[in-house]
Amino acid sequence: MLSRLSVLSANALKSSSPLGAGLVQASRSLQTSSQSLAPVPPLPEMGSKVRHGIFPEELFQLLYPKTGVTGPYMLGAGLITYLLSKELYVINHETLIALSVGSVIVFAVKKYGPSVAAFADKLNEDKVAKAQEVKDGAIASLTQAIEDEKKEQWRVDGRSMLFDAKRNNVAMILETNYRERLHMVTNEVKRRLDYQVALQDLQRRMAQEHMVNWVEKNVVSSITPQQEKESIAKCITDLKALAKATQSKAAA
Amino acid sequence: MTLSLFDQFASPALLGIPLIAIALTFPWILLPSSTSRWLDNRLSTLQSWFLVRFTHQLLQPLNFGGHKWALVLTSLMVYIITLNLLGLLPYTFTPTTQLAMNLGLAVPLWLATVVLGLRNNPTNALGHLLPHATPTVLIPALIIIETISLFIRPLALGVRLTANLTAGHLLMQLIATAVFVLTSLMPPVAMITSVVLLLLTLLEMAVAMIQAYVFVLLLSLYLQENI
Repeated sequence: MLSRLSVLSANALKSSSPLGAGLVQASRSLQTSSQSLAPVPPLPEMGSKVRHGIFPEELFQLLYPKTGVTGPYMLGAGLITYLLSKELYVINHETLIALSVGSVIVFAVKKYGPSVAAFADKLNEDKVAKAQEVKDGAIASLTQAIEDEKKEQWRVDGRSMLFDAKRNNVAMILETNYRERLHMVTNEVKRRLDYQVALQDLQRRMAQEHMVNWVEKNVVSSITPQQEKESIAKCITDLKALAKATQSKAAA
Repeated sequence: MTLSLFDQFASPALLGIPLIAIALTFPWILLPSSTSRWLDNRLSTLQSWFLVRFTHQLLQPLNFGGHKWALVLTSLMVYIITLNLLGLLPYTFTPTTQLAMNLGLAVPLWLATVVLGLRNNPTNALGHLLPHATPTVLIPALIIIETISLFIRPLALGVRLTANLTAGHLLMQLIATAVFVLTSLMPPVAMITSVVLLLLTLLEMAVAMIQAYVFVLLLSLYLQENI
């Protein structure tokens, strides 16, 4: 029962004073049974509010209904006055040491406090950012995989068009081939027929020449020598007459 | 009973109950323990950042066998620095002003480094007794001198820490007493002396941290020689 009481009072102290937090930390290491581990109470993200660095805000809220805004300050002043006047706390050289050490601590906290806090926050934020990056990277790669899959499906849909085009291609090639062969056949047949025609022409020509030669030969052989002399004498008289006619024409 | 200046260094007791145990456990109570959370609060984050950086920097010159000493050296550093800084608060007792405590920290650790060195690498460990390239004539004398310097190391470690802290605390008490007395006699002089007190406070804070670091650094140096 007493341990529960101490834990409760330690929990009440846990708000801001480092000693209170330390006591909670220390007692937590002694609670090792699994019953005290679950459910783990969530820690607040920011420390509870304090006024003047050490006095928790809850104290001011506690005293506000009865004593208003100045209540806690009057309490503090009264306490200090009581301690000093009754010499429960004696002012000696340690007080001066306390003053100098206190002023150094206050100055250091005021000057470097925000930057140190920002640094600590940044360390945590960097951790979160790294994990977030991994998560975002995984999501991005999965989204990309989905899009690629969709593209592949679209490609598959278009495949039938591809097959039709290929089929058309093949049909055209077959048609072209058939027509070529047809041409070739026609040309060959024409060549054969041309040969026959040329052969016939040749035969006719040869027959014609042969006949002409035979006629000439017969005519030439039928000319007797008597006829030949007579024709030559006639030609000479004709020539003489022509010569006379030409001479008379020339003289005229 | 009138207090002398040295009564601040007496082991604290309340009604006969020695309070030294509580004084020695303060660092353990006040510093946050490691949590099982992924993102801690600011104090835990800063503490773990500092510990990682410090351990990395301390163990860099050591070879792999020396890394076994990481926990001892880092926790020793944090312990001494916390004790020293806490001692600067008024009405507190600094355990590290006690020679017994500092020798109790220094002698076993130094002895551990020496014994390790002699066990694992005796030639190298004994070789440290003769520096490089000494003239042959000086060898006997130098070996004796180096042996003496070897055995004085733990004393030096302990006494250095004790003397620094004790002197610092004594000075602060003296100057604070001077300011206290002068405030009623000669306030302007008291103002000047209080400025001196302020500067001394800054010095003492620095000395507290530096002496802890020097203690641990020297131990790591002795380890480096011997591991």
